[in-house]
Amino acid sequence: MTADNADKLLRLENVTRAYVQGEQTVQALRNVSFTAGRGEFIAVAGPSGSGKTTLLNVCAGLDRPTEGKVWLGSRDLSELSRQQLARLRLEEIGFIFQAFNLIPVLSAEENAEFILLLRGVPDQERRSKVRDLLKEVGLEGLERRRPGQLSGGQQQRVAVARAIAAEPKLVLADEPTANLDTETALSLLNLMERLNQEHGTTFLFSTHDPRVMERAHRIIRLVDGRIESDLPVTQNNRKDPRHAG
Amino acid sequence: MRILVIIAWRNLWRNPRRTLLTAGTVALGLGLLLLFLGIGDGSHMAMIQNAVRLGGAHVGVQARGYQERGGLERVLSQHEIEQVSSWLAAEAPALGVESVLPRVFASGLASSADGATGVRVIGLDPGREASGSFFDDKVTRGQFLTPKDHNTSVIGDGVARKLRLEPGEKFVLMAQAANSAEIESLLLRVSGVMRTGLEDFDQATVLVPLATAQQLLNLEGQVHQVAIMLNGLDRATHVAERGRLRLPPAVEVLDWSALMPELRDFIRIDDGGSYVFNGLFFLIIAFMVANTLLMSVLERRREFALLDALGFSPRRRFLLVILEASWIAALSVVIGTFLGYAGHLYFHHKGLPLDWFYSSEVSAAGAVIDPIIYSQLSWTRIFGAAGLVFGLTFLLSLLPAWRGAKAEDVHLLGQL
Repeated sequence: MTADNADKLLRLENVTRAYVQGEQTVQALRNVSFTAGRGEFIAVAGPSGSGKTTLLNVCAGLDRPTEGKVWLGSRDLSELSRQQLARLRLEEIGFIFQAFNLIPVLSAEENAEFILLLRGVPDQERRSKVRDLLKEVGLEGLERRRPGQLSGGQQQRVAVARAIAAEPKLVLADEPTANLDTETALSLLNLMERLNQEHGTTFLFSTHDPRVMERAHRIIRLVDGRIESDLPVTQNNRKDPRHAG
Repeated sequence: MRILVIIAWRNLWRNPRRTLLTAGTVALGLGLLLLFLGIGDGSHMAMIQNAVRLGGAHVGVQARGYQERGGLERVLSQHEIEQVSSWLAAEAPALGVESVLPRVFASGLASSADGATGVRVIGLDPGREASGSFFDDKVTRGQFLTPKDHNTSVIGDGVARKLRLEPGEKFVLMAQAANSAEIESLLLRVSGVMRTGLEDFDQATVLVPLATAQQLLNLEGQVHQVAIMLNGLDRATHVAERGRLRLPPAVEVLDWSALMPELRDFIRIDDGGSYVFNGLFFLIIAFMVANTLLMSVLERRREFALLDALGFSPRRRFLLVILEASWIAALSVVIGTFLGYAGHLYFHHKGLPLDWFYSSEVSAAGAVIDPIIYSQLSWTRIFGAAGLVFGLTFLLSLLPAWRGAKAEDVHLLGQL
């Protein structure tokens, strides 16, 4: 890693991801390159099928590029084993999915503390942290409920609590507000924004929700797997239709 | 690790009916296995006891070479008998010795006015045999020999039938004397007729007092075997080893399995067949468990993808499935052992009547099979069977566990 890249948390270099479907090859990502610095709050926008989810999966090491390189800090993800990638996600990445994705046999509290448990954080510290977080996301009193006993919005808030409980360097969120009502979506965005500002956590989230894009500091627009634009959002251009999606 | 154990346990109860059916199948299999083993071991023990108590021994002391080659002259001398006596006098209580029975064996010819038949003569001490063997219990007509008897005999009911003899009647027993070319003969009175259930034995056995046999065979003060009866079959090997250490090399000390190799081999073959049958039976059950586990993993592909995304390493996912299988195995072992042990206790006390299956007396490899089999189940068997269940479940969970560990279904995470 060069000195220029020292404060870059995430770096993609000419990433291409192609899938073979029957006799056809689908190019989900084509020569995607960008860097994300520490503390950035980036939205990846684009229509359905533009490659947003694939991009996030590649960034997390859940999917491997057909060509190109992905760097997280100083590590080239292509050189890591599956075991090492899992370790990396556990230590440094928080994931929020569109489909909530909680572990059904664990309670809200256990789901939220899952990463901390795997990291071996002591009981008392873990419990108190998770209780505070659940309170913060408005789930006080629901700690013992299983995912099946929570609404979609409540489940997503548990997922957010799980993603941020371990204070990861990078949070990847795949359309985090897609299945939420406006009020819940806004409170989730407020929470993400606050974490970004207070802890310097880098957020990279895919969306085509204008409410979310409005809050982003930078928008990377994908079309057919290519970066069409990568622009910072300033106070002046927040209302610019190009940034509103 | 704790979270793995918790998730594995709770995963089992997401589909309680499937878990209970799977665990129930394995438990039933284990219960039946224990029952088969108990009945099998019970019948083998009874066969050994019957063989030991009907002319055999837990441990036999003989002149070296007698087991392999026999021979009327291959006897224990008076001095050697004394050495055996002094060894047992010193160690009998510690070794669990119940009785010591000197015996001589010979072939002879029994004849009466109605015919003649070849017989196997066993000379024995009537007083000691009464408590050490089953011969006296097998007398169906007349009575067993007494210590005061001389020139009397107990004959097998096959001999009695051939020679048309009844208690109180007389017959002539002829045999070649030791160290001589002479044929000696004695006129014997029938004291009793016995029926052991062993066809070959009953057709050709004549029991006579030891002194009478020694006189007939010219073996004054000598015997072919000192049969040692113990209060536990499992002590036999140790006692034989002890005897080999304490007695001179001119004598051989053999446990029941060496004295009765046909019976030992029959039990081995029977056990072998039973192991193959039980192994196949369990393999079928184990494949059912493996199938259930594999289905359960495949049904949860999205969940495994989620665990992967959260940093749950392949090794942990592998362990998770192994733990789920271990929980099922543990549950099955607890229930199965309970079922099997309960069945064992029933058949240990009430017995399994063989007349459910056979209408006549049954014998094999020179041993009578009791008409009622009482289950015998050792801890070794219980732990062995439980270990088999654990081992097989573990082995067959490797494939589902590997499938869970290698799952790369990231595309499923976006699905609602």
